[in-house]
Amino acid sequence: MSPAIDTVAFFDALSDEMNASTERLRIVGDADMTAVVVMHRPGGDLRVRLVFEGLICAGVAEVGAEEAGHADFALVGDLADWQGMFDDIVANGRATGLWTINSLALLGDRISCQGDDPMGLDKFSRFNQTLQEFFDGAARIAVAA
Amino acid sequence: MTVTDDADRPAYDELPSESPLGAPLDWAWLRGAKSEWGIHPKPSPRGLTMLDIAVGTYGDIPEHPPRRSMAPRGADVDDDVVDMGYILNSKTDVWAENTRELYEEAVARQWSATRDIPWGELQELPDDVEHAVCQLCTLLTEVEMIAADLPAKWMWRMNHDFIEAKMFLCTQIMDEARHAEVFRKRALANGGGLLLSRGGPTSLLRTIIEAKTYTQASALLHLLGEGFVLDIFRMGELIAPTDVEKRIFRMCMQDEARHVAYGTMHLRYAVENDPDVAEEIHAALDHGEQVLIDFGTAPDVSTALALLLAGGAEHVEDKGFPLALELTKKQFTSYLARCERAGISRLERTTVPLDLLGIDPEQVRGAAPAAQGAQS
Repeated sequence: MSPAIDTVAFFDALSDEMNASTERLRIVGDADMTAVVVMHRPGGDLRVRLVFEGLICAGVAEVGAEEAGHADFALVGDLADWQGMFDDIVANGRATGLWTINSLALLGDRISCQGDDPMGLDKFSRFNQTLQEFFDGAARIAVAA
Repeated sequence: MTVTDDADRPAYDELPSESPLGAPLDWAWLRGAKSEWGIHPKPSPRGLTMLDIAVGTYGDIPEHPPRRSMAPRGADVDDDVVDMGYILNSKTDVWAENTRELYEEAVARQWSATRDIPWGELQELPDDVEHAVCQLCTLLTEVEMIAADLPAKWMWRMNHDFIEAKMFLCTQIMDEARHAEVFRKRALANGGGLLLSRGGPTSLLRTIIEAKTYTQASALLHLLGEGFVLDIFRMGELIAPTDVEKRIFRMCMQDEARHVAYGTMHLRYAVENDPDVAEEIHAALDHGEQVLIDFGTAPDVSTALALLLAGGAEHVEDKGFPLALELTKKQFTSYLARCERAGISRLERTTVPLDLLGIDPEQVRGAAPAAQGAQS
């Protein structure tokens, strides 16, 4: 069984899965971005910084609020909505319908893409498929577990 | 700087001065050119990038290149090289600080409209939805190529010392060719075809292609036009009836965002280094915004989008048009935020009806709530 999604261990597992599948990522291409996943949950938010370099996720770390603000963008939502997204990925092998990260951020009512720099926010669009591939890895780590 | 005419190097005096056929030979390149030698750029983990080789004098982009030739920047160039007639001879005319990065990104993230779209998964759609998809694809096939034609119009006028900017624009041209390809293919692939092409889009395209300067053209194309299309692509997930169209929109979205990123940073560089250019940009956008509003409210565009947003004709009024209005709000908000980032605030000047669209100028100006949200 994979770790709970509101843990750094879960994102480490997604990172490992991505980094073991660079051939699959090659069609999507290199990416350079720093994203922060923010999960609102009882007892305090979880903020995980994800650093993407080339075809790999080069860094996963829990960060504080100030460091989170230095990322290109942050994806912010309640834990339940993040769980909904990952449940859809695990059920279907990849995100479907309105559960893709692009759809979620576009509607912004469950998970929103935030940042204070339009250039950073645009990286969400420039590297969107890389980010989606990263999240879709949840289906594979669930199977592996 | 280490040059190749180092006195310690061999003179190669024994080399022949004539070819076997009697033609004169020139060994100057071997005996010592006045260019930098032995810089040994180090490849980054992904390979040898344009950023990696921007070292020593090769990385210096002149503000005002001394020549108008196609000689490569950093080479030992003859004084009598041919003038190519370049008119964009100031770095502020074309440069953006992210040019090299975007070029590498573009090369690394190329895709194929033939191979990378799951055409085999197309499904028969209701008549109204298929028509709406085809109408939107007709429009996009038409407008996307302006983003190829426009750089092509200006590139041969750009000084060759700005080669990285020209290389990036080459990738943009390829991107747009692929976009025209993929939307044309989609229009035909599912039993439909190309539908109406009217005068509205052409007015916008003509405004862009006829811009008087490249920087005005970049403002109209990258910031305004492509920024709006980028938001349509972002919205693609909501308007796409199947995974095939979703995939098309997502792939195009990535490309389009690169073009917008170049334009935003080019305008910023231009304004920072030549403040007089700001008024030129504003004048172009004064007109461009109006033409874009006419384009966005053109009946073919707004109805096709609304029908797709509604999922069909049945809910076009109660669902389609309200969602289309939200899209318009997002488009103008993103556009105004990019203008702020580019250093050409439009908030005091735009004729876009911000009140009507529900856009809060303070949110655009500060944009800080986003970061605070991430930190909360």
